[in-house]
Amino acid sequence: MIDITLTINGEKRQFAVNPGETLLELLRREGYKSVKKGCESGDCGACTIILNGRAVTSCIVFAVKADGGTILTAEGLENDGKLHPIQEAFLEEGAVQCGYCTPGMEMATYDLLSHNPDPSPLEIKEALSGNLCRCTGYVKQVKAVKTAAKKISGEAK
Amino acid sequence: MSRSQVTKYLRPSTPEEALTLLRNGGKSARYVGGGADVARTLPGDVTTLIDLCTLNLSSIEESAESIVIGATATLNEVLENRSVANVCNGVVAEMMRKVGSPLLRNMATIGGTLVSAHSWSDVIPLLLVLDAEITLYDGDSRTMGLGDLYASRERFANSILTSVMIPVSGPGDYAAFHKFSRTAYDIALLNCACYVHVEEGRCTEARIAAGGTPRLATRLPQVEAALPGEALSDETIERVAQVARDTVKTADDRRASGEYRKQLIYAGVKSCLHEIAQRLEGGQ
Repeated sequence: MIDITLTINGEKRQFAVNPGETLLELLRREGYKSVKKGCESGDCGACTIILNGRAVTSCIVFAVKADGGTILTAEGLENDGKLHPIQEAFLEEGAVQCGYCTPGMEMATYDLLSHNPDPSPLEIKEALSGNLCRCTGYVKQVKAVKTAAKKISGEAK
Repeated sequence: MSRSQVTKYLRPSTPEEALTLLRNGGKSARYVGGGADVARTLPGDVTTLIDLCTLNLSSIEESAESIVIGATATLNEVLENRSVANVCNGVVAEMMRKVGSPLLRNMATIGGTLVSAHSWSDVIPLLLVLDAEITLYDGDSRTMGLGDLYASRERFANSILTSVMIPVSGPGDYAAFHKFSRTAYDIALLNCACYVHVEEGRCTEARIAAGGTPRLATRLPQVEAALPGEALSDETIERVAQVARDTVKTADDRRASGEYRKQLIYAGVKSCLHEIAQRLEGGQ
């Protein structure tokens, strides 16, 4: 076992991990169940988290690699019972159906909007291109990201 | 997917240390870059992983002649870099946007991509035509053309790729990249990259490469030879694209037939050269 330190959703924690363990496996066993297990090969995006500021598929990140790093999961978006603007936008636009892809989509959106506060529809589609949704036709998610961008820039004013 | 076979995950701080660890580990040891590829396709006999991302090799620096990209810079870091954006009208970023998804590009490293050498890689054909060089460390550092690495890959099997150099481009340098795939996210059925140097309206130098033929990307000397001395007219472009269709060796695999790939290389060369011709006309 290897000892690692991670700051997850603002909380500094220590873990003993197996050398071959992935971040997805670690996060789920520690109770971060918003991180969904899908393809386990980096193709579907259900396990997307923010690692050191960028969205990655946690199923193909070795946990040891994240040692000393900062992680944000969908659990960390909510603040004192108040939903994050991205979460509000996904609800309002009806971008959630079965919900399995939703946390991953929200984290990919978080990365996009942190680097590009006013994305074009094409930029939104590119940013979500690694997140598969089997229920919808992606139209509502693209709308939700636009709405989230407006909410966040409105808050900033 | 269990990777419980892995019993050691080592984090060296210098290339010397990494090399020693690999030699000690023998066949059961393997280097890891971003890890995306290794985590997906870890061979059953690998039990020791040696992480190269702890070597502090991820900076991107521009000198007068070239942009030096550390091997563990991620593909998105390369995509977003301002110096890289100046190379031949941003062709590197344009190509990178077609590689996987942003989620993968935040993990995958440029060094890992070049060493994995997937036959469908979009990065390799473009870097071949941009005349990129790489530096390998195997006790000593040596610099060579990217093509030389693939010509004698087995000889360099234990070496560590430490950096990639892309020459800065100047007036008259043009490049374009084209990828054919079933979906934007899918790997290429075939891809192609063209570089030309143009002086007074005529091409003085050309480098063209294709990947996913379905073999690993290579330069196409016969196609390149059809360009020097010519202006990029519709007729020239048609002729060069036909040479590509008639001379590039293609084969069948489960993704596409060799015959279909011949049509793709024709269309790919045509599309790259038309893009360059349009830029020339627009004076860009």
